[in-house]
Amino acid sequence: VEILYFAKSAEITGVRSETISVPQEIKALQLWNEIETRHPGLADVRNQVIFAVRQEYVELGDQLLLLHSGDEIAIIPPISGG
Amino acid sequence: LLKDMDKVEETSKDIIKFTAEKLSVDDVSQLVTSPLCGAISLFVGTTRNNFEGKKVISLEYEAYLPMAENEIRKICSDIRQKWPVKHIAVFHRLGLVPVSEASIIIAVSSAHRAASLEAVTYAIDTLKARVPIWKKELYEESSSSWKRNKECFWATNS
Repeated sequence: VEILYFAKSAEITGVRSETISVPQEIKALQLWNEIETRHPGLADVRNQVIFAVRQEYVELGDQLLLLHSGDEIAIIPPISGG
Repeated sequence: LLKDMDKVEETSKDIIKFTAEKLSVDDVSQLVTSPLCGAISLFVGTTRNNFEGKKVISLEYEAYLPMAENEIRKICSDIRQKWPVKHIAVFHRLGLVPVSEASIIIAVSSAHRAASLEAVTYAIDTLKARVPIWKKELYEESSSSWKRNKECFWATNS
């Protein structure tokens, strides 16, 4: 799956996107832990971010995600548009 | 003349644009103008020159583009369910937006004013809560900080 980083999360990881391998079925929080293992600096924003899985918001909790190859998952820090 | 007016059908438009270019209130207003409408309501968001005693020189915007556009489309759809509006335009600037320049323009037209006035308020309030766009404040002293809207539906200020 492709992980997209924005704003503060992109500054922390130093990348805008990367491809990682994860189980097809995974809880949102477990996915976050996978990502945080790769980029420990993200622990700083753990309580402020939300996922967008295939462009739908998903909280970092118990929700079970059903992922397919090529799915886009974005790390969404607190927004400030407008 | 009344017969001609019956024949005139104008498809309602949702116009959403992200651009690095300077925004024009006149251009956006023109896009929603309609002979069927007696009202056009606008919101223009501009860069303010201060935050907590620090001098802001510029804002820098980025967006998760396809999702931001889709979320704004959903807002347009919500607006049409709630109010009888004609055209909706949402223009958001990306990249650097210096002080006093517009970062966002929302324009809505309707036959009578109540609908477009309320729809514009709903649009900016909901955009600030849900649309994946971020701004960074660039301060005079060469530091910067990513902002967060209090409307952001998932993050509390802790």
